[in-house]
Amino acid sequence: MRATSLIGPYQPDDIIARGQGTPRTVAQFLSDVSSLADLLPDCPTVLNLAASRYEFLVGFAAAIMRRQITLLPYSRAPYALRRIADDFPGSYALTDRDEQREEIESISVQIQQAPSPVSLPAVVPRIPLDQVVAVAFTSGTTGNPVPNRKTWGALTAVARATGSRLGIKERDRVTVAATVPHQHMFGLEASVMLPITYGLSMYAGRPLFPADVRSVLMDVPDRWLLVTTPLHLRACVADGVAVPTGGLVLSATAPLTVELARQAERQFRSEVHEIFGFAEAGSVAERRTIAGDEWKPLDGVRVDQEGTAYVVKAPYLPGPVPVPDHLSLLPNGDFVVHGRKADQVNVAGYRASLGDLSAKLLQIEGVHDGVFVLPDGETGLVTRLMAFVVAPGKSGEEILRDLRAHIDPVFLPRPLVCVPKLPRNETGKLPREAVEDMIRRWREQHDGEV
Amino acid sequence: MGQDQSGLSSIEQELAELIVRTLKLKIHPMSIEPEAPLFGEGLGLDSIDALELSLAISQTYGYQLKSSDPEIKAIFSSLRALAKAIEKNRTK
Repeated sequence: MRATSLIGPYQPDDIIARGQGTPRTVAQFLSDVSSLADLLPDCPTVLNLAASRYEFLVGFAAAIMRRQITLLPYSRAPYALRRIADDFPGSYALTDRDEQREEIESISVQIQQAPSPVSLPAVVPRIPLDQVVAVAFTSGTTGNPVPNRKTWGALTAVARATGSRLGIKERDRVTVAATVPHQHMFGLEASVMLPITYGLSMYAGRPLFPADVRSVLMDVPDRWLLVTTPLHLRACVADGVAVPTGGLVLSATAPLTVELARQAERQFRSEVHEIFGFAEAGSVAERRTIAGDEWKPLDGVRVDQEGTAYVVKAPYLPGPVPVPDHLSLLPNGDFVVHGRKADQVNVAGYRASLGDLSAKLLQIEGVHDGVFVLPDGETGLVTRLMAFVVAPGKSGEEILRDLRAHIDPVFLPRPLVCVPKLPRNETGKLPREAVEDMIRRWREQHDGEV
Repeated sequence: MGQDQSGLSSIEQELAELIVRTLKLKIHPMSIEPEAPLFGEGLGLDSIDALELSLAISQTYGYQLKSSDPEIKAIFSSLRALAKAIEKNRTK
């Protein structure tokens, strides 16, 4: 079986990570990985919860060397971790220093802060392309997380194709900084795999606020690549963030509007590119948002129509993967995305099905009826879900508390509205118009109320 | 610093209103406990709320929050702590 190096074309003294104490060289990284690999317990799977991107990478690499599969939790909420730990018995967690989780046996990634004397020459391990190295989870139709297995070959192929599309060359003096979590599929591909495949540097921290983004990009001594989302871009544009010119913005997780992309290009004095992808297939296509609607599949990737559905095909995927969006295919293989299929919602980059969320709501004791909806025309950085609930004898706060134990916090309804009944028709269905009517009436009643 | 029956100073009241309005919370601003945690338990806010709130604070008070600030956890710990940080750092 073919294999490739764990990390790309670095020299031992190249900087692989910044923002983690002193800059970490490749030689230090290899020594950090081999020390940690020796300490890992004999388990098949590991939940890597490290908040530092560098510590995550060290843990990920150490697990790969021990042939362990890294589980990428889609949420840090205790219920989500417990769920994954139940589905993958014998897992342990890798955490940042001093963090202990109640749900699962934890080991913290200990990085020697003082640069330790490194015994050279360090040997870069080779990883078989067919080795399964990670599992990304998506919410399934029953609300149970569905595992998506990722091989080393798939992750490196996507990283390579993304970099080549963006014009990145091996050992370019570029530092990749990211506002997205590295446990997210796009975060893993663009902010971890991309830099290590091309021999670039990564920024270990995760800037959240616009002022953080600014100071991180100001500190980068070479060119920067910002891996981010429309949410963070909107915040940076609204706050007038000023950054050094000559970088590149890569956004994903939700579609960027042309207007926001144009503002962001002006604000960041850089091109803004977008990635279209989803956890099941990984990154699929790229576009420069202001150049047009069309997505260009990454090299080696094809989007095909099969019956009424569209599928992604790539040599590294085990088979054709259905696309969760409506799209139309152009003769040259490019495509245009027309939005999520009904029932699928995306809140701040997290995908869920309204049906699953409503089912979780109905499982709560005392809830007679209930529905989650995505209201139209919301303002603000992100559109939150609403829920209408029939639960005589229960308060909204009680229901929210119960819900919090079962769904990711980003999907908690804002607001949760208690109603005497839902406008179901004679077949028991909730017509979209009736739901919209209910939202409109609720808004009218609460307009102007602070 | 004036306080009314709600126990909130005027900047705390103003901030409570900004939080409820920005995050579309279905609560009365005066019902926010000044010392209760804003994130996780308590009001139950998340990191997207933190981002939205930071933007509203920057636009209203000219104070740009930074997560690299060693005090950031303390600043976000409660309405009172956040109001204090704003008073200290506001530029408008």
